[in-house]
Amino acid sequence: MNKLREIAPRLSKIKKENPFRVPDNYFDDFSARLAVKLEAEKKALPQPKNTVIRYLKPVLGMAASFALIFMLVYWPLKSFLPNYLAKTNTFIESTTEDDAFRSILERLDETLFFAVLAEPGSVNETAEAGFSDDELMGYLSANISDYELYLQTEN
Amino acid sequence: METDDRQLIAELKQENTRDLAFHRLVKTYQERLYWHIRKIVLSHEDTDDVLQNTFLKVWKSIGGFREESKLYTWLYRIATNEAITFLNSKKRRNLLPLNDVSDYLMENLTSDPYFEGDQLQMKLQQAILRLPEKQRIVFNMKYFDDLKYEEMSQILDTSVGALKASYHHAAKKVEEFIKNTD
Repeated sequence: MNKLREIAPRLSKIKKENPFRVPDNYFDDFSARLAVKLEAEKKALPQPKNTVIRYLKPVLGMAASFALIFMLVYWPLKSFLPNYLAKTNTFIESTTEDDAFRSILERLDETLFFAVLAEPGSVNETAEAGFSDDELMGYLSANISDYELYLQTEN
Repeated sequence: METDDRQLIAELKQENTRDLAFHRLVKTYQERLYWHIRKIVLSHEDTDDVLQNTFLKVWKSIGGFREESKLYTWLYRIATNEAITFLNSKKRRNLLPLNDVSDYLMENLTSDPYFEGDQLQMKLQQAILRLPEKQRIVFNMKYFDDLKYEEMSQILDTSVGALKASYHHAAKKVEEFIKNTD
C-alpha cells in the first residue's frame, strides 16, 4: 500500500470499492440454472457403447466394404457384360469331379496304370467300381499300339 | 478450508457423491469467481456466460485435477482462461486485432445497467481498460482482490518478478491517466 502511494498517489486516494452490482437473486438462482445446463451437457455427451457392438464394429465394417466392392464390380459386369460372365460361369461349371478324375488319369503313365491294375484286390475294386472288360479293351486299344501290346504279352 | 477442499475434491471424484459435491463447490466459489470474471469481461451477461462455462469445464475436468495446486487456484485459472478465451472469440468475431478489445469493453462499461460507481470510479475503470490484457488482469487481482503474488503466479503461470513488474507498470499508467483527465 505504501509502495502504491509512492508510485501512484492519486490512485491510492481512490476508495477501493466494487462499482458493479448483479441482478437481484442472481447468486441464489445461478446454481439451479447451471444444473439445467449441466443436464443438457450430460445428455449431449456420447454414451459408452455396448462392448459387443464395439468389437463387432470393425468386422461389420469390413463385411460391408466387401459387399460394397462386390456390388460395385459384379453388378455392373452382370448388367453390362452378361456374355463375359456367362463364359466365366461355363468355365467354372465345367470344372467338375469328372474333369478332376480325368486330369489325374492323364498324369498317370501307363506303367503306373498297369501296376495299379496288377495290385491284389484292384480287380475286385474295378469290378466293384463297374470297370468292365470291354471298357478296359477300349482304353487299351485307344492308348496303346498293337506293337506295345505285343511286347507286353511277350514279357 | 484446505481440509474442506480436500474432502470436496474426494467427493467430486466419486460417482455417487459427485452431484451433491459439485452443488457445494458452486455455492462456495460462485461469487468469488463471478467478480474475478466480471472485472475481465465487465458486462454482467458476458460474465454469466463465462461463469457457466467455467463450472462446466470444472465438471468435465475434475477427474484430471492432480491436486498439485489449491482448489481455488485451479478454479481461478480455469475462470481466467475462460474469460480470455471469451474475449478472443469476441475479437475474432469483430475482426479486431488480437490485443485490441478495449473498444468492445468500453462499450460494455458505459452501457452497463449494473454499474453503480461514481465519476471517479468510472474514470478508474476506463484507465484500467486502457491497459494491455495481461496487465489489466494482474492489476485487478492485486488492486481489488488483494491476492498474493505467489497465488497469482500459480493462477497466471507467470513468475512473481514478472507479476510485480507488471503491477508496477499498470499502476503508473492508471495514475497517469487519472492525472491527465483531472
